[in-house]
Amino acid sequence: MKIRASLTRRVFGRATTVTAGIAISALALSALPANAANDPGVTDTEIVLGMQLPQDGPASPGYNKVDDAMRAYFDYVNSKGGVYGRKIRLEVQNDEYKTGKTITTASYLINKAKIFAFIGSVGTQTHLSVVKDINRRGIPDLFVNSGYSGLYTTPSKYPTTFGGLGTYVSEAKILGKYMKATFTTEKIGILYQTDDFGRNTVAGLASAGYTFEARKTAATFVAGTQKDGLDAQMTQLKDNNVEVVVVGAVASAYAAAVASANKIGYKPKKWVVISVGSDATTFQTILYTKGIPLATSAALLGGTITSSHAPAPADATDEFVVAFKKINTDFNKGDKAWDNNVLQGMNIAYQMTSLLVNVGKTGVTRKNIISYLEKNGSSITGAGFAPLGYSATSHVAYTGFWVGAYDATASLKPVGATRQMWTTDSGTGPVTELTWTRPAIGADSLPKGFSAK
Amino acid sequence: MFKKNMIRALFFAIAILLVGTFLDPYNQSQLSVALIIFIAVLSITLLTGASGQISLGQGALMAVGGYASALTILNFNLNLWLAIPIAVLVSALAGLLLGVTAARLSGPYLAGTTLVIALAIPSLANRFESVFAGEIGFSVDFGSSPAWLNKVIGDVPVEKWQLIVTVIFATIALFFALNILNTRTGRSWRALRDHDIAASLQGVNVGRSRIFIFMVTSAFAGMAGALYGLRGIVSPSVYAVSLSLSLLTAAILGGIRNISGAMIGSIIIVFLPDWIGAVTSRLSVPTRISDYLPALITGLLLVATVVLSPGGLSGSIHHKKHK
Repeated sequence: MKIRASLTRRVFGRATTVTAGIAISALALSALPANAANDPGVTDTEIVLGMQLPQDGPASPGYNKVDDAMRAYFDYVNSKGGVYGRKIRLEVQNDEYKTGKTITTASYLINKAKIFAFIGSVGTQTHLSVVKDINRRGIPDLFVNSGYSGLYTTPSKYPTTFGGLGTYVSEAKILGKYMKATFTTEKIGILYQTDDFGRNTVAGLASAGYTFEARKTAATFVAGTQKDGLDAQMTQLKDNNVEVVVVGAVASAYAAAVASANKIGYKPKKWVVISVGSDATTFQTILYTKGIPLATSAALLGGTITSSHAPAPADATDEFVVAFKKINTDFNKGDKAWDNNVLQGMNIAYQMTSLLVNVGKTGVTRKNIISYLEKNGSSITGAGFAPLGYSATSHVAYTGFWVGAYDATASLKPVGATRQMWTTDSGTGPVTELTWTRPAIGADSLPKGFSAK
Repeated sequence: MFKKNMIRALFFAIAILLVGTFLDPYNQSQLSVALIIFIAVLSITLLTGASGQISLGQGALMAVGGYASALTILNFNLNLWLAIPIAVLVSALAGLLLGVTAARLSGPYLAGTTLVIALAIPSLANRFESVFAGEIGFSVDFGSSPAWLNKVIGDVPVEKWQLIVTVIFATIALFFALNILNTRTGRSWRALRDHDIAASLQGVNVGRSRIFIFMVTSAFAGMAGALYGLRGIVSPSVYAVSLSLSLLTAAILGGIRNISGAMIGSIIIVFLPDWIGAVTSRLSVPTRISDYLPALITGLLLVATVVLSPGGLSGSIHHKKHK
């Protein structure tokens, strides 16, 4: 028995030593640095971009159309020969708006799909889980579909991340200015999700002079729980005689709030909603699934005040809307229903194409892209009525918004006779009028300077 | 037994490192996740498999570990080698408190209580936002490999560093689990599971043992939670109830009564979506269908396991071996 035990020990010991040796050697071999080469995801014939977004789950309605819209525009560019001969391929991963999953999908895009850059990723919470890693690797993280100012206002923290929307803070400040001028006697309350989105909205309104009382004029919910209804929150605001409700939440939450208010017989004088939460299609689709006909939901949306940096999707006079609508019809292989999400997706793809055109045929490196955006960000054009605010000290996208109200057909119209643009920062700076003329769309709906050779 | 267990654990570490060496960075990162899940599932193997107590709230104890390590790293500027042991201690303390309550409960009452804890603990982050940073959470990561290691084996990429760290902690967890299961402690736990009155008559202090079991298994969950958070962020959404249910699924699929089952279940849970993805992309299955397949197939596997092989995959292998 003793001999057997000692033999086992010897065999085990020797085997362990040998295997450990093999493991360490293999580890050392595999850790040798790869040959220095071009950035991943770029060849003479192709550029691979990646994005992650919720394609299903409670946070997906509306936003799950952005990727198809982006791909449609890139397919259009590819049909024209690509940018300097390089076709653009968009790799998409569904993170279901689950933070743990986003870390895996980002790893897939970086390590398996070998993308050159992230583009248009949707969601703040999910993006926060990967932004540090993306930046550490020096991967451009462009046109992020989140208005959370914390991602963009300190470029030293996230040097490769650039926004794709205005910030919630600046938007809330502009809406706050409008409210101050319009609702002089009404009692104002707020419904917000207890994350960066909601808290940025509260911060922006505070800059405009609005404060709210917890459990009285401020009703909150955890993002994702809106699918169970927001009856308690609406009852709270009703009981506290709130006449104007500001909503700092996603569109599914706004729809849930309206449905709950309707259910308990609460009729606020006005709803003021941050643009991300007021998308008409998402709002109507969600209410439709709750048995509310489209005509009724359009009427419920009617009068809602919101803001936008871009043209209204229903604005048939806008050249970008007209061009993008046609490309959507011809190239979109997913959900073609034209709305704000499709417009945003198309616009991001247009801006990305513009960026690739501007950096030149030989300039498509990760370092160049970031440096170009910091130095010449405002030269990247698109459908927005405000310039991109990129610089070495800020990676905030749009710094201007116009205020509008939905009509009874769910179309957003300016609150005044004409569209008036306002601008502000994401801090405590004042809200002032913006005078800037948007450059015209390029020939053939392609950015100026586009070349396939 | 102590030495044998140490050799087993070392073999495990070497085997994982060898496998990891031949994987691409994405799969190395996935293997790290599987190891983290393995540590968490070990807590269920010990709690439910060995001692017969049901918990649906291991994800919440992972959250305790995650927050403890994040707060330690960010507030005291400690590295993960100190932060994780602290997280383990804090989780053990949380397990002690849970054990005091749970010692009096069993069956569905215990399951219900732990489920409530799974729901409640992550939401505390919103209630005490100034301490736990609400929904935004804490941004933490594994950092980079130390300079001395880079000198020895060359530059270590992020994924490989993650794998090295998780292998070390998984090996420690495995070593402790082996020692618990193969010693007097494990035998007393099994006695408690099979017949608590008989165990009591043989001198096992039922109440005290149950509290101790909760404490020990919470320490395992806490270690896993700390590592899970280091992947990028510690926030309530990272430790959702679905995480607790995934752990239980992994434990059942692999086999809830033995350690190899914990490893098999963890690998299935982590890699199954990738395997399905590889097949569906070859067959050009539309994403609106393929996105739902991992959940559907996992559910079917779970039902099949419970009906056809209640001992899980490892149970089936063991059964065939001894036929």
